[in-house]
This record gives sequence, structure tokens and C-alpha cells, in this order.
Amino acid sequence: MELPTDPNLLVGLEKADDAGVYLIHEELAIIQTVDFFTPIVDDPFYFGQIAAANALSDIYAMGGVPKTAMNLVAFPINQMDISILKEILRGGIEKLKEAGAVLVGGHSIEDRELKYGLAVTGFVHPKRLLTKRNLQPEDLLILTKPLGTGIVTTAVKAQLADERLVRQVQESMAELNKKAAEVMAAFDIHACTDITGFGLLGHLGEMVEGSGKSVELWAGAIPVFDGIEPMASMGLIPQGAYRNRDFRKEMVVFEGSVPLWLQDVMFDPQTSGGLLIAVAKDQAQALLSKLIQGGITYSRLIGKVLEDPSQRIYVKTKQ
Amino acid sequence: MVEIDCKGLACPGPVLKAKEVVESQKPPSIRVIVDNPAAKENVSRFLGTQGYDICVETKEGSFCVIGTKKGEDIQETLIQERPRGATRKILVFITSRTLGHGDEKLGSALMLNFLKTLKELPNLWRIILLNEGVKLASDEGEAVGVLRDLEQSGVSILVCGTCLSYYNLIEQKKVGETTNMLDVVTSLGVADSVINIT
Repeated sequence: MELPTDPNLLVGLEKADDAGVYLIHEELAIIQTVDFFTPIVDDPFYFGQIAAANALSDIYAMGGVPKTAMNLVAFPINQMDISILKEILRGGIEKLKEAGAVLVGGHSIEDRELKYGLAVTGFVHPKRLLTKRNLQPEDLLILTKPLGTGIVTTAVKAQLADERLVRQVQESMAELNKKAAEVMAAFDIHACTDITGFGLLGHLGEMVEGSGKSVELWAGAIPVFDGIEPMASMGLIPQGAYRNRDFRKEMVVFEGSVPLWLQDVMFDPQTSGGLLIAVAKDQAQALLSKLIQGGITYSRLIGKVLEDPSQRIYVKTKQ
Repeated sequence: MVEIDCKGLACPGPVLKAKEVVESQKPPSIRVIVDNPAAKENVSRFLGTQGYDICVETKEGSFCVIGTKKGEDIQETLIQERPRGATRKILVFITSRTLGHGDEKLGSALMLNFLKTLKELPNLWRIILLNEGVKLASDEGEAVGVLRDLEQSGVSILVCGTCLSYYNLIEQKKVGETTNMLDVVTSLGVADSVINIT
């Protein structure tokens, strides 16, 4: 498909990044993104928060600040009580407030299945724009939220999820990547993305392709929700995880000792996952300390960038 | 052989159906028919955890996952959780590298002696190391060996992952299981008594 071009379009569709970026003038570019989905938790207020956190995340992953947002709603008005929709929207607005963005409008349609999300616009200084395409050899990789939201959501459907774990996962999904983005702004960050539907290895795969480098990951260091192992081992794995795996099977090389359940977790599609940050080696420990001090306590160093241009992800058990 | 037809079921449906049958009938062999690759993988994983050897047959558009029971004894060990019965659970919660506040060398020596003497404490269930306490599990010092002995004797040792990460000690940890705050809070609640070393 031939796309219209414009010299001010800094990041467009063909670059497979988190969001589109358009240059307004030398000191300002706008970041635009849209995201919506069907409910992943039962509580409508939580669902609203999670959908908003998920939509806002792309702005943070590109180094920007969210400014305006528009609601997207599909609602089965004849089968569902309108109070549910109100709760969802209230959840969304709460997160927008926390982000410092304003709701400027929206659009709703009637649909058989409930869907909610937002289109968000953010500002960024063009020189501070972060993409997936700039991994540098020796960079260290930091992940800021634990993995496993897709597996837990599947376990909820099977009524096999522990209530505490479900709460912990909901809170994690509803947490904005705002704080992490603010902390990293003071450091020499080379590339960044957020972990969502393609899973850790899918999104890291985009960074690897965009940068023409390879990466070594340390499976044992990757933050994972407590209690995921038995669920993953017994096959409560969403279909998307297998699609992600099949799509990346040429790129990812697992060391034999990495357990299968952990491999599955690394492909698990995430909702409103954490930031994956590539930072200059000498600043990595300082950034990690600041993230933890800032309350993002699941942040971990999970791997490093290799010079190797073969565009592979080598997953070892440990460093 | 028990056969279940899970065609048309999306995940986690097939695993749930297989689970129901395995738990109620405990069949020595089982065939589960599914029609999508994700269900094939998930049912294989599930039967694997239940002590079955797995083999998969592929026919146009559907998969047949066949599980055959390995030795029965494997199943037994899976079911038997560590029996703790009604014994009291004592938790020692250590958030410092030294014992007491004062001279550091004295504090280190006292901590080492404290850890060595812990084996005399009946019903010691778990030790949690937090903040500077995680250094006890990662230092070059003797504490690591003492903690290892305790672990071998059945005491569970949890080391705060965030703290290891903060002090850049993830790779240096030599003993214990890395843990998170949820586990810490749960342990504090589950324990019958908590000994707090700050």
C-alpha cells in the first residue's frame, strides 16, 4: 500500500514504532497513538484505568508527555446497564488526571461487545524523541514491570487464579509508565518501547530489527509476577503467546536450560506492560536505583545489547 | 483409554476439560482432541505436569494429544506437599547486615553468631532478608555458608529481589530464593510469630 508522505512525519507506519510522530517546529513534535480493547478485568472502574494507562503508555515510551485524549467507546446499550459505562469512563478520566492530560472529546457506537480505549496526543522535543531503532552495543536493558498479565487473565477465565495475584496484576496494569518515564529523562537513554501485545520478545524483536544489533537476555533476572510458574506450566497460556513465539522463532535462541514456562512468559502478550529501556552501560545501575527509589520496585536489569548484526535474541539463564 | 473432544473450544477451555477428567477419573491414558495449535500446546503442558508422557498426532485441521501415565510414584510425590501439620511457624525477619547498632565489626560478628545459633530455635520456618540484610546472602563472608546449612535443613530463605537489584547483587546472591513484597507480606501474616532483626 502506498502511503502519503510528508517531510515532517518523523515516525510513520512503516517504522513499526510505538506511535506516530509529526514535527510541528524545531522544538516541538506531536506523538499520536490509539488503543482500545475488550474488558480484561471484571471491575469496570479498573478496566477504564487499565485501558487508559495502556493507551497513554506509548507516549511515555517515546519520551513524550501526554496532553490531550479522546474516548473510543463501543457499548451494548440494550444489554448492559449504562452505569457500567460511567464507571469505565470514570476510571479512564482518573488516569488522564494523573497523567496531566485533558479529555477533549470522543466517539461512541453501539456494539454487541463492549470495547473501550483512547486516542492520545503527546508533546515531545524532537531531540528527546525515543524510538526503538537506536540500540547501541553494550547498552544495558531495564524492564520496569513484571511479566505475566496474559497468563493471569487466562487463569481468571479458568477460575484458577489466586485472588491476591489478580489484584496485584490489576494494579500493575493500571499503573502509568509516567514515573518511569520521568526518571529515565535524566539519563542517557538510547532506545525505549513499552511491552504490550507482542510480549517481551516480540517488542524486543522490533528493537533488534530496527537497530540492526543483537541482544543477550538473562532469563533468571526478568521480573515475573509471583505465582505465574504453576499457571504457565499447566498450560494456561493465551493463544497470542504462541502466535508471538511462532512469529519470532527464527530470531530467538534459547539456551537449553531456560525452562519452558519462562520461555512462554517471555512471549506472553501484556496489557499495559512496563517500559523496556536501553541505557548507556555506565548509567544503568544509577538509573535502576532511581527507578526503585521512585517506587518502581520491580525494575530489573535483564540483558545487554551486542554488536552482532545478525539480529538475534540470545536468551541465557543468567548473566 | 479415555477420550475427550475439545474441538471448537478456545483456551483455556480444553485444559479445563482435561483437568476435570484427569482429576475425577485419573485415567492411565488419555486422548484429547483439539482443533487449534494453542490448545494443542496448552493441553500437552497440562498433561505433562500431571505425570503423563505426551505424544501428538496431527490430522487435517485437528490435533490429538495422547498422554500415557509414567510410573505411579511420580504422581504421589506431586500430591504430597511438605507436611507441616500443626507445628508453629517462626519467621525471622532480618533487615540489617549487623546485629544491633554500635561498632560495625562487633555487629557483624554478632550477626554471624546469631545465624549460627538459629538452628537451635525449634520450629524455625523461614528467614527473610531485606534491605541491607540481603548482603548476608551475597557477601564473601561466612554467613552464606550458615544460611546454606539452614536451607539444607529445611528452613526456607527468601531474599528481597528489589533489594538485590538496588545493591547490584543479583548475580552475587549465593543462597535462598529471590522474593517480592507480596511474598514478604504473606509470610508475615502466615507466621505464628515473627522475630524482627533491624
